[in-house]
Amino acid sequence: MGAAASARSLLDPARLARYHGLALRVHGGAGDRPGQQRVPGRVDGTGLEVEAYRPYVPGDDPRHLDWNAFGRLDTLLVRGFTAEREVAFHLLLDASASMSVPGEDKLAAARELAMALAFIALAASESVRTTVLLADGRTRESPAHRHRSAAPRVAEELAAAADGGALGLGAALEGWAARHAGPGVALVASDLMTEVADVERGVLALRARRFAVVLVHVVAPSELDPERGLRHGVLRDAESGAEHAIRLTRAALAEYRAVVEAHLAALRALAARTRSLYARLVAGSSVGDFVTGDLARLGLVRRR
Amino acid sequence: MSGSGIANPLGVVAFLALAVLLLLYLRTRRRQAIPVATLFLWRRVHAPLIEHRHFRPTLLFWLQAAILAVLAAAYVRPFLERETGGALGARLLVLLDVSASMQAREPEGVRFDLARARAQSEIATLGSADEVMLVTAGARTRVPLRWSADRALARRRLEETTALDVPTDLTPALELALTEARARAGTRVLVLTDLPPSESGVDGADLTAVEWARIGRTDDNVGIIGVVVDEPPFADAGAATVLVLVRNYARAPRRVVLDARAGGTAWAKRDLALGARASASVTLRDPPAAGALELALEADDALAVDDRAWGWIGARGPLDAVIVTHSGMFAAALDRLAAGVPGGRITRVAAEDWTPEAAAGHRLAVLDGFVPPEPPPTGGTLYLAPPPGNAVCPSAETVDGVSVVDWDPDHPVLRGIGGIESLTLARASALSVPAWGRSVVLGASQRTSFPILVAGETGGRRVACLAPALSDQPLASDHLPLLLVALGALRWLDDAGAPEAVTTGAAVPFAVGAREVPGVRLAGDPPVLVAERAGIHRVPTAAGERIVTANLFDDRESDIGREARDEAGVARRPSRPTPAPARWDATGWLFTLGLAALLVEWGLWMRRSGA
Repeated sequence: MGAAASARSLLDPARLARYHGLALRVHGGAGDRPGQQRVPGRVDGTGLEVEAYRPYVPGDDPRHLDWNAFGRLDTLLVRGFTAEREVAFHLLLDASASMSVPGEDKLAAARELAMALAFIALAASESVRTTVLLADGRTRESPAHRHRSAAPRVAEELAAAADGGALGLGAALEGWAARHAGPGVALVASDLMTEVADVERGVLALRARRFAVVLVHVVAPSELDPERGLRHGVLRDAESGAEHAIRLTRAALAEYRAVVEAHLAALRALAARTRSLYARLVAGSSVGDFVTGDLARLGLVRRR
Repeated sequence: MSGSGIANPLGVVAFLALAVLLLLYLRTRRRQAIPVATLFLWRRVHAPLIEHRHFRPTLLFWLQAAILAVLAAAYVRPFLERETGGALGARLLVLLDVSASMQAREPEGVRFDLARARAQSEIATLGSADEVMLVTAGARTRVPLRWSADRALARRRLEETTALDVPTDLTPALELALTEARARAGTRVLVLTDLPPSESGVDGADLTAVEWARIGRTDDNVGIIGVVVDEPPFADAGAATVLVLVRNYARAPRRVVLDARAGGTAWAKRDLALGARASASVTLRDPPAAGALELALEADDALAVDDRAWGWIGARGPLDAVIVTHSGMFAAALDRLAAGVPGGRITRVAAEDWTPEAAAGHRLAVLDGFVPPEPPPTGGTLYLAPPPGNAVCPSAETVDGVSVVDWDPDHPVLRGIGGIESLTLARASALSVPAWGRSVVLGASQRTSFPILVAGETGGRRVACLAPALSDQPLASDHLPLLLVALGALRWLDDAGAPEAVTTGAAVPFAVGAREVPGVRLAGDPPVLVAERAGIHRVPTAAGERIVTANLFDDRESDIGREARDEAGVARRPSRPTPAPARWDATGWLFTLGLAALLVEWGLWMRRSGA
C-alpha cells in the first residue's frame, strides 16, 4: 500500500468514530502551558472545577475570595481551582526492519495505534508530536500539532514511517531524550525485540527528562506462538541478516515459549520498576479494542 | 422438503485451497528462509537442526486435505428448505437500571418496583420456546441471567435484583444489549430506566432498535451533594470544620432541616430555605466529639439515599515524637514547631544512647541518618537519609544534584502540598522501593532515577523513608518545601488507621482481608473496593479492620426529575420480525465436522512433533 493510500486508511472515519469522546490521561505528563487536562492536586487561582475551600489568611489574593460564601456564612473562604494544563504527547514509532517482517506487519498496527492516540489527544486539544525512529540513531520528527484539523498531517507523517534498517532502541531513545525536555508523555510503540537492559537504558533517560513513559509492545502472533507460521526452516534476522536453522519439536516449542515469557516478564518488571505504563498489542488484532479495552484498563484512556 | 441449494456460489473457489495445500507440501522439500524480527530469543532455544525429507503423502496430509474440503464445502453454505407457516421463537432482553435514582418514590410506588413489575409482566407474555436475558446497569454492567427459556428462573433473578446506591453508567449495558440484538436476529431490547434516551450515551440511530420505557416523573428531591471535613494537622478533634453542601433539585422552593451528629453526640440542627434548584452551604464548627460524622436531612422527599451523608472526625493529638539526629539546630527547629501546638512534645536522643525504651510513650519517631536494629515501638517512624545497607529503607549510595521528576498527588502524604516540582536536593540517598511500600515522590539525577520518598506499612506500623537529610536550617525559605513534605509524612504516620472516604460505585485500591462485606464489593487483583451502599462500613484487612465511609455525591443521580431533550417518556416498540421460510442450513454441521477433523489432525501432529 502506498503512503497516500495508507494515510487515507489511517483516517478512515468509521475507524476513528470509535474514539470520539475519549481522552488520554497519564499521570505526571502535564506541563506548565495552560490546557484542558485537569491536574488534581495542583491548585490554581482560576479554573472550572473547585478543588478546595479554605479559610482566608492574610496574604491570600483577595480576588480568590468567595463573596457568596461570605454573604451567607459571614466567613472569608478562599476558593482554589483544579489546575488545567496541556499535556504534550510524543509518539515515538520504531520503524526498524524488525517491525516490517513479511506476514507480521507490526508497523501497520503501530501506525494505526499511534493515529488513534493522536486523534484522541488532538480532539482533547492536547499537543502531539510524532517521531519516527530510524536506523543508526536517525529520527524524523514532526512539529507540535495542536488541533483536530492536524489529523491528516499526522496521518501522512505516520504513513511515511518506513525504514528497514537496524535500530538500537536504547541509544535512539537516549539520543531523543537528550534533545527534548519534559514534562510530557513519551509513548514508545516498538516490538522491543532487544535486550531488556537496552530498553531500560532508554526508558531511564526519558524518565530523567521528566517524561511519563508508555511502552506499547507490538508483537506478532507468530512471535508468541511460532507454531502458527513455522514448523522447520532457516530463520533469517530481519535486521542483521544472520541465519539460524531450526526444527520445532514440542520440547523446542516449550522452551521458546518459556524464553518469550521470561522476556515479557522482564519488560513488565522494567515498566513497574521505572513507573512506566506497559501494554501489549498483538498485530492483527483490533486496535480499537486495544485502545478502549487494554489501555482503558491501564487508565491511559478514559471517557471525557 | 421442497428443495436444496447453496447460498454462496462464489465460495467454490475455496476448493483451490486443496491445491495450495499440495503446493505447500511440495515446498517442504526445500529449505525455506523465514524472516523473523530477531534471532536473540531463538538462539536461547536448543532446537534440533532441520532435516531434508522427500514428499510422500502421509496420513496427516490426507487429513488436512479432508479438513480443507469440508471447510470449503461449508463455505459455499449448502441448505435444505421446507415450507412452513410457523413463527420464530422470540427473544427478549431486559435492561434494568439499578442506580440510586431508581429508589425514588412516585405516587404509584418506588421506581425500581415499577420497572421490575413491568419486566415481570413482559416475561409472563413469553411462550415456552422464547428466551429472555437480564442485564442490569448501575456503576457497572452485570448479567444476572444469560439467554434462558426458564421463565421461573428469570422471575427469581428479577426478584433477587435490587436498586443500589450507585451512579448510572447506561452506555456499556446498552452496547452489550445492542451487540446481543445484532448477533441474534429478532431480539427485542426493553430498557427500563428513569433516564431519557438523550442521556443513553448511544447514537440515536442505534436506539431505534430499542424499546425505551422511561419510569418516573417527580423532581421532588433535596440532597446532600458534598461534605468537606477540614482537620488541621496535629490538632484535636475540636479544631475540625465541616462544610456541607445541600441542593434542592425540585422546581419549587423547599425548607429542610439539617441534623448533624459527631461521635454519636448531637452536634447541630440548621433550618435551610432553598429556592427552586438552588443550593446552600453550611459550615459546622467545634464538634462535640471525635468519631463518625452523621449528617441527615429531614426533607421527606422522593429520594432518601442522598438525604444522609457520612464522614469521620479523627481523634488526633499534638506532635509527639522522639528524634535522633546529629544536628542540634534541626532538633531545635522541630522543637519550635512542636511548641506551636499546645501539648506538642519533642524528645531528642543521641544515636549512641538509643534503646527501644527511649521511644516508649511517643507516638512518632524521627531517625535522621540512623536505623536501629529493632524498629521503634512507636505508631509510625520517619527515616531521614537512611545509610546504605540498612534493613528498613534499602539504599545503595549517596547521589548529588537531585530534582523531583514525578509524584503521586493523590497520596495523603502530599495532601495540600503544592510546588513539589520546585524541590531540588543537593544530596540524597538513592532509595529503592521495598516490598512493603511504594514510591510517593520520584527524583532523578544526571544518570539515574530513584524514589525520594517511600511510604507504606510493615509489621503493622506505618513507615516513611525520605532520601535527603533535613538541613540545619529547615525553616529557611529555600528548605521549606522539603520540611513541608517531612511534616506531611509525619501527619500521615500519625493518621494510621484513619478511615477511607469513597463515593459509591467508584473503585479504589484496597488491601482486603475478606471477600464478603455487606454493601461493599471486593474484587480484582490487585484488589479494589467498590461501595454499593452508602454508609459506614467496617472492612476486615490483614492488619485488623478499616472503616470506610461511602457517600453518593452524584449530581446526575440526585437530579431525579431530569428534563429530556427528545421524546421523554415515549416507549418505542420496533416491529416484530417477519417469519422466514424454515431452512436447514448444513453450514454449521460441516464446520463442526471440520473442527472435529481438525482436532484429530492436531492430536496426530502433536504426537508426531513430540516424537
